[in-house]
Amino acid sequence: MSVKIPTSIDQLPNSNPRFIGQEVNRVEDPSLLTGRTQFIDDLVLPGMLHCAILRSPHPHAKIVSIDTSEAEKLEGVLSVATGKDAKELTNPAPTAPEGWGAYCLAADKVRFVGEPVAAIAATSRYIAEDALELIEIEYENLDVIVDAHKAAQDGSPLIFEEHGSNVMMQRVFTWGEVDQAFADADHVVTEKYRWNRLGANPLETYGCISKWDLLENSLTLWASVQSQSHVALGRAVVLGLPSNKVRVISQPHGGSFGGKGGFRGPDIAAILSRKAGGRPVKWIEDRMEYLGGGAGQSWDRHYELSLALTNDGEVTGLRVKLLDDLGATAEAFGTVSAAKPLAAFVGCYAIPVAEYDLTMVVTNKLPGAPYRGMGPPPHNWALEQTMDVAARKLGLDPTEIRRKNFIQPSQFPYIIPSGNEYDSGEYEAALDGVLEMSQYKALREEQARARQEGRYLGIGVVNTIEPGVFDWNAYAIVGVQGTGVPEGVTIAIDIMGKITCKLGFSLEGQGQYTVVTQVLADYFNVEMADIEIVYQDTLSAPPHFGPGGSRLGVAITGASLGAAEMLVDKLCTVAAVLMQTERENIEFMDGFCRIKGMPDAKMHFAEVAGAILARSDLLPPGMDPSPQATFAWTAAGRTQADDQGRAKSYLTAANACHVVLVEVDIETGHTEILKYFIVDDCGTRLNPSNVEGMTQGGVAQGVGAALLEEYVYDEGGQLLTSTFMDYLMPSVYEVPMTEKKALVTPSPFTPLGAKGAGEGSMHTTPAAIMCAINDALSPLGIKAHEVPAAPNRIWSLIQQARAGESR
Amino acid sequence: MDTTRKIQMNVNGTSYSDEIDVRTTLVDFLRVNCGLTGTHVGCEHGVCGACTILWNGNAVRSCIMLAVQADGSEISTVEGLAPGSELHPIQQAFMEEHGLQCGFCTPGFMMSIYEMISRNPDPSDEEIKDVLGGQICRCTGYQTIFKAVRSAIDKMAAANKSAAQG
Repeated sequence: MSVKIPTSIDQLPNSNPRFIGQEVNRVEDPSLLTGRTQFIDDLVLPGMLHCAILRSPHPHAKIVSIDTSEAEKLEGVLSVATGKDAKELTNPAPTAPEGWGAYCLAADKVRFVGEPVAAIAATSRYIAEDALELIEIEYENLDVIVDAHKAAQDGSPLIFEEHGSNVMMQRVFTWGEVDQAFADADHVVTEKYRWNRLGANPLETYGCISKWDLLENSLTLWASVQSQSHVALGRAVVLGLPSNKVRVISQPHGGSFGGKGGFRGPDIAAILSRKAGGRPVKWIEDRMEYLGGGAGQSWDRHYELSLALTNDGEVTGLRVKLLDDLGATAEAFGTVSAAKPLAAFVGCYAIPVAEYDLTMVVTNKLPGAPYRGMGPPPHNWALEQTMDVAARKLGLDPTEIRRKNFIQPSQFPYIIPSGNEYDSGEYEAALDGVLEMSQYKALREEQARARQEGRYLGIGVVNTIEPGVFDWNAYAIVGVQGTGVPEGVTIAIDIMGKITCKLGFSLEGQGQYTVVTQVLADYFNVEMADIEIVYQDTLSAPPHFGPGGSRLGVAITGASLGAAEMLVDKLCTVAAVLMQTERENIEFMDGFCRIKGMPDAKMHFAEVAGAILARSDLLPPGMDPSPQATFAWTAAGRTQADDQGRAKSYLTAANACHVVLVEVDIETGHTEILKYFIVDDCGTRLNPSNVEGMTQGGVAQGVGAALLEEYVYDEGGQLLTSTFMDYLMPSVYEVPMTEKKALVTPSPFTPLGAKGAGEGSMHTTPAAIMCAINDALSPLGIKAHEVPAAPNRIWSLIQQARAGESR
Repeated sequence: MDTTRKIQMNVNGTSYSDEIDVRTTLVDFLRVNCGLTGTHVGCEHGVCGACTILWNGNAVRSCIMLAVQADGSEISTVEGLAPGSELHPIQQAFMEEHGLQCGFCTPGFMMSIYEMISRNPDPSDEEIKDVLGGQICRCTGYQTIFKAVRSAIDKMAAANKSAAQG
């Protein structure tokens, strides 16, 4: 049957929806609050062993020899694995472009400090770590390269000798007559930017239990994985197992933000399990492993961005040149991060033509991993900061240059030069809303007064697009052939009329089970407590993907509504027989199958479902006695990328406008956030408090990006920030308590009109803070074009500016 | 050299004793030997506060304390906050104010807050910030946690008042 999914709340079969769109309590919380939720490290299996991993202290070295004999003799050690085992038993990661992946244990040489070299499975983690100290490895050091520019040059030490170059990919995407636009421009503004490495750092590190059973030729993997079906497929490829012999069970996990993808751990634990006769092997990454060797480093980038402008501030062309340092391999979807900006390349602006000159290189640093936003946050900063530079040059207020260039509401759906389609938006309304909320004019007056007192206040006004509901189609252009991204659920009604929803993703923190419960409770007009969510593993669940790319709220709402529509159709078919009428006379409303035009002629869905299960004598011929339905939702209308990478990829374009007031202490270089205002438009809000939580959480991570967080490698390739003492996570002292307002421009294309909502602030906050800092420092002629804008960096710029003045 | 020792401690009012390796951390003893896995390990170097528990009434990081140091002591963990089917007012406030997302750091936050309110039932905003400043949450951005603390304080004050009157 063709399933029609409601695109607004008022299309639900409920005359008075009570839950969807409301700030209900989350169904996840009682278990989490009492310590009962079973995270991966809480799981204990019979016969389970514990893994510890020996990591390379060298950034680039040949492995001459490994001697594990003493470790093997230690009481309690059951199995030992090295790169030799990895080469024999596994394949390199398929998450990198062909030839740029690596084995889970370094085979012949190490390419970064922290790369796994050997591993032990023992009866306790303590013993396993003792045994690591008994392993003898002889290395032969190779020349090290950590600078992306040098890595791209001929004659540089090679990370992958077989490629003859460290340049993984170099390509120019051209969308329209860009040369002409720049030749015709009244003004061209070109600026350079440096975004240093930072990363996801969920409070729970990665963890897994692998059980590789040789008799069954199967792998069972319990893990804190974000997209379990994708991980299962990857394990089948890496371990050479039939896909239906790999079962991934995703435990609830303590945050992810993209940074839960470390695949080496499960594969290493799997090898150890196999060598220990199929006993389950648990590996829990510790924080230092996460920081130096996990899926926690992202976006090591050098930008040059140019705008072509008319005299009155219209942007007529955009050029972005990116040198992206992916670290030692691209095994953690590193290349995807450089491709995602195509989904919102021109931000909120109607820039007609654009060019993307993209170079990706490998260096002797940890492979780059996904992080919230998956690549656009640095792009957005470079674009928004350059808009401010252009505004200053043309004597415009930052709000005015933006206003002149917005894509207008009448233009949607709007296809941007890089090929993606924006569904809907009210960018000027968002800007006006936040200007009013922040009393922007008064902020400018406050800033002027402060300057007279010798204080440096700055205001950032930044608006961005959050591409939501991702599709893999666009990523073939960077060598990563993904899978489709359906999201399926099964809804069943039992003989007592209670509803169960089975699905294939675990808890991660976004309140996904609550959203499903809200949708179904309103659809069937029952209490939320009447809906039970049942998690299913990869071999049990319908086709599914889980969180990623700001998709889950929209996708699971679509899946839940689709399955509900199918199930209700079946109920109505049976109700027609029971009420002795034709199917087309039956409608479903407020939990009842009722005869149209006869409000009292009705049967409750529970009664109909009970009859289906209990009264085979009453069933229509040929109908199975099963009141359940499965539906998998996916974004319709996505397209293959053309030869310039253009595709309709992300289904929704959420929008946010942030205004931030900062003060820079020019004696210390310290930045303090004084006020922060947000208007956010992610379409229909399925659960406003979930959305606000995502917004505020993204602000916190954005503060970290702009001011605090940085992975620092020295020239010799050693990581200098390997603990939370050095890698600075934002605390309650740095994160502003923001004022937020919602603007609601529903998507015309999605279930209930919702848009992706999980990444918006991470797209916006770093740019907003950096624009504010640059605004504060502009009287000194300073451009702060490197993040994080840590006090030492800003202080140095101030000293240089003063030295320049005194000359 | 014998590297084991027998220790005993009361955790949430129940006595636990075991022969352990002396290098066993307190958090490992609680999680593995006592089976109380509500206390979580976030960094293992005492920065993030996820593993915060009460040791003789004081909030401490259980990841950087050895179990033998807690021999003979009174320990409270998140499992002790609400032993029955009713949530503790702090837990209730976290739920109502959406003070958690993934919930991994939450037990540590709640134990720190519990200790603060035990010491001072009417803390100022600065005192609250001082306590929250010792904990890291990667999800929420702290705003709703702050609201949850204020709400919990009000709830507990109201409960105390009605108990005193009753």
